[in-house]
Amino acid sequence: MKKKVVSVLLSVLMITGLTAGCGGGTGEGESTDGGTSEEPRELSLLVDTTNAANEGFLAIVDLAEEELNMTINVETRPAGTEGDNVVKTRLASGDMADLCVYNSGALLNAINPSEYFIDLSDQEFMDRVDDLYKEAVSVDEAVYGIPFATSRGEAVLYNKEMYEKYGLEIPKTWDEFLANCDVLQEAGETAVLGTFADAWTAQIVFLGDAYNLLTAVPDFPEKFDAGEMKWASTPEGLRSFEKLGDTTPYYNEDYLSMTYDEGCDVMVSGGAGHWFAMSNALSAMYTLYEDMDMVNNLGMFAIPGDDADVNGITMWYPVAIYGNKNSENQDAILDFMEFYISEEALDAYCGATLPDGPFCVKDYEIPVEAYAAVSDIQAYIDAGNYEPALEYISQVKGADCPAICQELASGQTTAEEAAAKYDDDCAKAATQLGLDW
Amino acid sequence: MNRKRIYSNWFMVPAMVIFTIFFLVPTAISFFFSLTVWNFDSFTFCGLDNYMTFFSDEALYNSIVNTLIYAVLTCVLKLVLAFFIAVFLNSKIKTKNFLRSVVFFPNLISTVAVGITFSALMHPTKGLFNKVIEALGGAGIDWLGNTDIALYSVILTDVWKGVGVATVIFIAGMQSIDKTYYEAASIDGATGWQSLKSITVPLSRPAMNSVIILSFIGGLRTFDLIWAMTGGGPGYATEVMASTVYKQYAAGYYGLSTAGNVIMFVLIALLAFPLQKFLLSKEVD
Repeated sequence: MKKKVVSVLLSVLMITGLTAGCGGGTGEGESTDGGTSEEPRELSLLVDTTNAANEGFLAIVDLAEEELNMTINVETRPAGTEGDNVVKTRLASGDMADLCVYNSGALLNAINPSEYFIDLSDQEFMDRVDDLYKEAVSVDEAVYGIPFATSRGEAVLYNKEMYEKYGLEIPKTWDEFLANCDVLQEAGETAVLGTFADAWTAQIVFLGDAYNLLTAVPDFPEKFDAGEMKWASTPEGLRSFEKLGDTTPYYNEDYLSMTYDEGCDVMVSGGAGHWFAMSNALSAMYTLYEDMDMVNNLGMFAIPGDDADVNGITMWYPVAIYGNKNSENQDAILDFMEFYISEEALDAYCGATLPDGPFCVKDYEIPVEAYAAVSDIQAYIDAGNYEPALEYISQVKGADCPAICQELASGQTTAEEAAAKYDDDCAKAATQLGLDW
Repeated sequence: MNRKRIYSNWFMVPAMVIFTIFFLVPTAISFFFSLTVWNFDSFTFCGLDNYMTFFSDEALYNSIVNTLIYAVLTCVLKLVLAFFIAVFLNSKIKTKNFLRSVVFFPNLISTVAVGITFSALMHPTKGLFNKVIEALGGAGIDWLGNTDIALYSVILTDVWKGVGVATVIFIAGMQSIDKTYYEAASIDGATGWQSLKSITVPLSRPAMNSVIILSFIGGLRTFDLIWAMTGGGPGYATEVMASTVYKQYAAGYYGLSTAGNVIMFVLIALLAFPLQKFLLSKEVD
């Protein structure tokens, strides 16, 4: 009998031990730990490895530690889907860092921000943030994030030297662009650089065409979210996929095995004529050789449409920094956020790395001379010819977009098939969001 | 007290608790959540919609076909190669022990490391494989980029890595065969081939069955190597069941990915149990 009692006791102990182990780490309420103490305040910040390499961000963090008397522990996570998993799991298990760097736009919707992130709409410092950007980090009236870095152009990087050598003009229509590619290919050059070992780079032709789609069908995002319009059945939407399909013959031989990092090297060394890219590739290229002339040999033009008179660029908003609602360090989090978008901090950013595009902060003038390609982007913006990428307006983004684009660009499917597949993929996302399609 | 029961059943409790908490309960829960749209906080019941989505998805169909190709091919290749390597390593050669370790070495490396290494070796322009082929005058192959070849490139890598374990199982099986059979056979004038066919093959049957079952199930639920080498691409060319399910999970479609897991569970069970039954019925003493 004694044995029985002891064994039961032991098993009870084990079970409680197990469950106690799983239960730790959830928020212990919000204490108001004022910023008056002498001890440096500690904040943890979770960021993906790609963004963690941003010198500008690191410069702001260093400055914040000094100015705000803080210790900021930067934790890194992988980029891409692997990293999304880490974020979602840590949120769900109540184990999130004080500050979290994550996508703005449609992907923010999908992680249920009202449950986890601080609503910043009452904070004064949010008045400085660009209104369009605020929309990209808002869900149902609540605003959650501040811009992590500069915005970026999503367009075509081209090699000016090659354009001069073969007497090419910046294309105004898609057909002119393809004609330029033909010239380069016949001359034995790589007409279009493909870096599809990183599948997300395959989407850029498609996603960067948003300006053309939005100027032709302004209510597409709205009707798409409502389930009334589909990619496959909207000719202007299908056109974006067709453009991606058109690029297939022009890629470098090893385009399915080349990584984004290798691509930066090839492009800045003059190894290809065009690269569908985002302008933050410029900073990555600059760090390779630290040679301004090499980077300035690259210009940027918007993905051309079918009408020579309509030319505008698709802008990509930076990821955002979100504050953990369930952290004990509410005040410190808000202080850090306010500081992060202050003039002083942004100057420190520009001192450490050249900006890849305009900041999403009102009235901030970039104090340094930018890359040539960034000036090209600025010209589009000054003329008012820009639209944000679709995922900052629409709620629904299919998760499998990279694979679908990769499949299309490598010639395994047609544009129609890819568009239909993407529609199915978006339907899954819509179901998850509880939209009635 | 019954002699067979010296120990109280209570001793089973710790193990059963762990098994229940970490296996039985999650399995039951997953059957439930596969019928919902779920985001960890809340769920809405949606009936069999998740299963319908999966079965109407061309990607799932492709991934099942790819999984079967992968499982069958890795299984057969490992079986045949490991058998002959084992026969060779069981013969009287001087460097036997050294060679046995060499064959087993690939298995000690982490699968992801193997995947990264081989994708570097298989790089179409900079990889060692193509450099060698080109040096010998051949035309390079786009191992992982060509959609018709990519799956087989991964299969070859898997075989390279997995053949060691199969060989060790075979060696163990062959060493337990009584030497007198071979003596009797050689007295009767049997050739080497004949004794291989009539003694070694039938008597290493139990080892063979273990190899088949292990590598077949391993092939059905393969994930790490595919993910490290191709990520399921280019496009969907090397997508297998596990990677399809993982992608749904990564996208945040938790209900849908749970349904995928249930489908995978049922499929593996449907294939593995009859196979095992069939193989065991063929074993001889």
